[in-house]
Amino acid sequence: MESMIHDMAERLFRDHVTHRLREKAASGHCPEALWTQIEEAGLTMALVPENAGGFGVPPAEALGLLRIAGAHGLPLPLAETLIANAVLATANMALPGGRLTIAEGEALRLERRGKRVHASGHLTLVPFARWANRIVTIAVLDGTDHVLSLPVKVLSFAPAQDLAGMPRDDIKLDHTLAETDAVPLPRPMGGMRRLGALIRSLATAGAMETILEMSIQYANDRVQFGRPIGKFQAIQHNLATMAGETAASRTAAEMAAGSYDTPAFALTVAAAKARAGEAAEKVGALAHQIHGAIGYTQEHTLHHFTKRIWGWRDDFGTELDWTRELGRAALSSPHDTFWHFITDSAAKGAPA
Amino acid sequence: MTLTAFSPPPPGTDFDDLRQEVRTFLAEELADFPPEKRAKSWNGFSRDFSRKLAQRGWVGMTFPKEYGGHARNALERYVVSEELLAAGAPVISHWIADRQSGPLILAKGTDDQKRRIVPRIAAGELCFCIGMSEPDSGSDLAATRTMATEVDGGFRINGTKVWTTYAHVADYMILFCRTGKSDDRHGGMSQFLVDLKATDNIQITPIIDLGGEHHFNQVVFDDTFLPSDALLGGKGEGWSQVMSELAFERSGPERFLSSFALIEELIRLLRDDATEAQQAEIGRLSAHLMVLRQMSRSVAGMLNEGENPSLQAAIVKDLGALFEQDIPRLARSLVSRPAVPGGSDSYAAVLAYTELAVPSFSLRGGTREILRGIIARGLGLR
Repeated sequence: MESMIHDMAERLFRDHVTHRLREKAASGHCPEALWTQIEEAGLTMALVPENAGGFGVPPAEALGLLRIAGAHGLPLPLAETLIANAVLATANMALPGGRLTIAEGEALRLERRGKRVHASGHLTLVPFARWANRIVTIAVLDGTDHVLSLPVKVLSFAPAQDLAGMPRDDIKLDHTLAETDAVPLPRPMGGMRRLGALIRSLATAGAMETILEMSIQYANDRVQFGRPIGKFQAIQHNLATMAGETAASRTAAEMAAGSYDTPAFALTVAAAKARAGEAAEKVGALAHQIHGAIGYTQEHTLHHFTKRIWGWRDDFGTELDWTRELGRAALSSPHDTFWHFITDSAAKGAPA
Repeated sequence: MTLTAFSPPPPGTDFDDLRQEVRTFLAEELADFPPEKRAKSWNGFSRDFSRKLAQRGWVGMTFPKEYGGHARNALERYVVSEELLAAGAPVISHWIADRQSGPLILAKGTDDQKRRIVPRIAAGELCFCIGMSEPDSGSDLAATRTMATEVDGGFRINGTKVWTTYAHVADYMILFCRTGKSDDRHGGMSQFLVDLKATDNIQITPIIDLGGEHHFNQVVFDDTFLPSDALLGGKGEGWSQVMSELAFERSGPERFLSSFALIEELIRLLRDDATEAQQAEIGRLSAHLMVLRQMSRSVAGMLNEGENPSLQAAIVKDLGALFEQDIPRLARSLVSRPAVPGGSDSYAAVLAYTELAVPSFSLRGGTREILRGIIARGLGLR
């Protein structure tokens, strides 16, 4: 896909997202200067509809940015901010600017206190929470999805991290929101878990493309027994397997991105996240096998990518969560045959 | 990375009306067709079924109208193909001709060849087989020894082909053989259109597979005379012609739906009462199937645009074979019910058939090892 915004992101990340920047981020240093450039380039607004201040990029293209960010191991909440802005805009809420993040809000309890909404419960494993200004989540009040925009500085949280060393913070919530910070969604968007699963599927596909490229390069460069190890059939076949898994994951993630805001979204995201998680295991393992001991070190850059794809398996639903959801849908489908479920519900959304 | 990018199939290519028509047709035609016959997938043979399908305009769909085709696009054909496979319809009688021999003749044939043959393919009347493998030339196609020697008015063929699926019933073979010597390993090869019903000195003997089925044959050419107009395409161009067929041969839904009858049987058993673990396995299977289907449709879209996605096709076939070969294992992990060949319990019979069929899925149409070598080369190795 020819895309100006993709080219811009590619250049920006290529120039600035270095091994050293990822190392520093993993040791707790937020790359502020790069964030400013990302925001100035407008990348965080790409999924916002035109009438809400966006610039009319088709959703599949806007979401394609997240694959590129994944391919560079970007240690910043671009994906989270992109989704948060789109959700806020859909609920006609103000876009605060700056770094935002998203959290699964399905387990929150909401109650009305006068004109305001009180939220209590836990938000767990919230990506980049301590680097964000606000956490955006979706929770149910009176049977309707509400968007909550929570200012991070008033929240207390227990810092933790994911496998790649990126912030994943737990937050105990007992907070009455400002009136403008809790707004019903005019139409369902599928919940934050689903939107989160989409962004991780895309990023995983991108990171796996980089892992594959690094592995090809290494196999062509590394000489043993008098020839590049890429000449050995065992290595070639492992790389071919990696390519197949990567291609399948990218196709799955792009199928989900292409169905954003359509009835097919629910099941295509489930398939994409499940497929990405399964592929992450195989691709990561084979990449390390090809790289040998050097790839198992801190100094080599491979781990920044493999740890990300392994960590992302657990964000916004594991493979087990998503395959169960998909399997339940298949087994309880009203269609006569499984085939009709695949061609009809899975591809186009469940019947109303 | 272009190899891992499968552009989405063009929008508006679901063709729901067509799909519905095909389903209605299949529901009638196959009303009494039992699961154990559906399990044969695209190996099921019925000239009668192929002819009826053609009467509906669903054979040779992409062929031009002047050759009896229907000038429809590759994604419409895709809808028909996948519906046939999902239903386990007996399609092999027209399948190979419709998939690759017809398009090959249209692309490389003489006007006379096109006029003589293609309308009869589109009518569902002709069964084609492919004469490629030989006793000493399996994966290594360039080791082909069968030789066509130019003689007055045509060629004399000598050599032996093996694993020739349905040669014993086919009307035509697309024969791949040598027509000359060449320093280039891939040079000096040509393709011929062999009229099996009207050519003398061809001996076809069955090779029975381990399941007791007769699909394979050995085909011996013993000084067999073929007229000049049997040459298909350019003399010496055989290698590149064969290579351009491969994207058609390797990317279709038959590369991941061959075990589909067992999937339907399995789901029927689990439907009302599945544990969470069973749900998860069916979900995983669904995810794989949804993604393979999208990749395969993507390749159909690329073919429709006249591109040559042979590398993407190799990826689809490699992943597809893993998927369809894994179905018996999956079934066994979810349901404890022994396989019984020809048994009266349809699950048990379909499981038995499928268990014996799956080893061939990563052999036919290019072995797993060959495909992975092709993919690796596409990645920039070797």
